[in-house]
Amino acid sequence: MNGLLTKFLLKNPSVLVFLGALALFTAFVSVGSEAFGWGFISTSFVKTLGKTLCFCLIAIAMDLVWGYCGILSLGHFAFFGLGGYMLGMWLMYARTEIIVQTAMSNEVIPPTDQEVIDAIGTQIFGVVGGSDFPMIWAFAHLFWVQLALVVLVPGILALVFGWLAFRSRVTGVYLSILTQAMTLALSLYLFQNDSGLRGNNGLSGLQNLPGLDDVSQDIVSMWFFWASAFALGLSYLLVKLITESKLGNIVRGIRDDEARVRFLGYNVEGYKLFVFVLTAIIAGIAGALYYPQAGIINPAEIAPIASIYLAVWVAIGGRGRIYGAVIGAAFVSLLSTWFTGGQAPDIPLGIYTIKWVDWWLVLLGLSFVIVTLYFPKGIGGLFDRLVRKGDA
Amino acid sequence: MAELLEVNGISVTFDGFKAINNLAFSIGYAELRAIIGPNGAGKTTFMDIVTGKTRPDEGSVLWGEKSISLLSKSESQIANLGIGRKFQKPTVFEDQSVRDNLMMALKAKRTPWAVLFHRGSDDETVRIEELATEIGLKDALDRRAGDLSHGQKQWLEIGMLLAQDPQLLLVDEPAAGMTVDERNKTTEILKRAAKTRAVVVVEHDMEFIRNLDCKVTCLHEGSVLAEGSLDFVTSNKDVIDVYLGR
Ligand SMILES: Nc1ncnc2c1ncn2[C@@H]1O[C@H](COP(=O)(O)OP(=O)(O)OP(=O)(O)O)[C@@H](O)[C@H]1O
Ligand SMILES: [Mg+2]
Repeated sequence: MNGLLTKFLLKNPSVLVFLGALALFTAFVSVGSEAFGWGFISTSFVKTLGKTLCFCLIAIAMDLVWGYCGILSLGHFAFFGLGGYMLGMWLMYARTEIIVQTAMSNEVIPPTDQEVIDAIGTQIFGVVGGSDFPMIWAFAHLFWVQLALVVLVPGILALVFGWLAFRSRVTGVYLSILTQAMTLALSLYLFQNDSGLRGNNGLSGLQNLPGLDDVSQDIVSMWFFWASAFALGLSYLLVKLITESKLGNIVRGIRDDEARVRFLGYNVEGYKLFVFVLTAIIAGIAGALYYPQAGIINPAEIAPIASIYLAVWVAIGGRGRIYGAVIGAAFVSLLSTWFTGGQAPDIPLGIYTIKWVDWWLVLLGLSFVIVTLYFPKGIGGLFDRLVRKGDA
Repeated sequence: MAELLEVNGISVTFDGFKAINNLAFSIGYAELRAIIGPNGAGKTTFMDIVTGKTRPDEGSVLWGEKSISLLSKSESQIANLGIGRKFQKPTVFEDQSVRDNLMMALKAKRTPWAVLFHRGSDDETVRIEELATEIGLKDALDRRAGDLSHGQKQWLEIGMLLAQDPQLLLVDEPAAGMTVDERNKTTEILKRAAKTRAVVVVEHDMEFIRNLDCKVTCLHEGSVLAEGSLDFVTSNKDVIDVYLGR
């Protein structure tokens, strides 16, 4: 196995370049962090960078499913959100449990287990006028179960949805609309107070790790940054192993002419399902890493628009070349933070002042149109051209 | 079953238009057969039915010794039973190399799992090079299939067909866009293939059909008009009428 991996890396030096760059970047941020270095990178910026890595991770998944397999999914942020919710449930439950137990330990008569659970329920569901635990919280106290659900819930939803859609041979725009509808339905459901996930309040306080209140956010933020970088590196390697294998050939064949692949004897639906489920799982993992860094998750994050942004990132970065997706996600999401965070200087035009907070979306939409029309290979395509020039 | 493929009484209607009308056709285990007929006769539609792309409204399509019905099978299942197809418009994977095109077609396990862990063996490399030599693309193995000429794409598709190692080859207009030399070579390849398997060739070019030197089936308006040697078929009065548009 080791020999095979070495052979693979030698054949695909770009993977080594990417992993090396990621390692350097991780080292740089560690050295600059407040927790472990000179502190020229603030903790909140470490979180921004860590979250950006999670966006890069889901962008890789999007590139595999769209850029390689040709399925323009407008639903992968739903899987991202579900991953976040699954881990968020445990984070919220376990921390509330500690708070409640500490508060009750001063009482003269020790509380019964049921009283403790009721108190936790009141704490968590008070905002939506309830105190009983809904069914879906049955395993919220078990870390390992919730961790498994991070991959199982997105995976199974993708499996069921994909099986129904691919089996009926829904393709192209219709499939995109269907994925969008799934996302919309899910987010509308989660917005309801009786969805069991606190409606539009979502889950909060996720940045606080249960039982680790003494550990400062400076350090926690670095833990999550490292975990995100590790997940990104590993997924990059995994996805590259797939795209450079014979499976990658078949998947690209499906993108370009799925009927032809069928007549070669390949069960196209099975292949699509494999890619769809795998990328949903990667999206779920990305979400589980993202939300503890964001601190809060609510149904708005799952709204269809998020998945559309994802497609825009990948298109701008360059489809069908994995690193393009990473570049696109990092570049556009950081730029978006800058513009919408009010840091970009407004442009006074005499009678009218361009406020970037409002105009950023227009700029993004325009860039998308320009890239689609004139640079269909995105930023990654420019990169390719430079490399090829270097060779010549 | 005495024959490899037996098609009986099939009909297909597209929006009220009968493209195939009570068609019967059969072919043996090692046989070369040419299908001719004017445009719109239903030649391609016939192949669509056998390969599972189009479902007939009625009739039966039986395959192999066990007389399996192909009507309830999917395209990929039919392909795996041993039916390969070359399309009228050459369809190769333009974005991928000639080598990868052949590799994808090569007979091997077809499940995602097996394909993911597939490691090209030396046998496979040798087989791909043999095939490439046969179709005259040995030097083009690492070229992008989209950069090939029209004739070369036709050959690549024939190569992919051979790589699948099917029992029945359905070849739709293989000679279109080929030079005389290329046509002669295509004739040879098809004749050689037909020594061990069944080959059905659809062509408009009579010279090409003559060189194939095999039984000919003439289709018209979705059913068989005449069947026999080329001379027999072309001297048939109905056939002459159809071709001269009388
Ligand atoms: N999917 C379809 N929907 C509607 N009509 C169709 C469809 N497929 C084929 N037809 C019609 O059925 C008839 C037979 O078409 P087919 O392609 O089988 O002819 P052909 O013998 O292959 O002709 P050619 O020599 O031009 O390739 C034509 O009139 C065609 O327009
Ligand atoms: Mg035709």
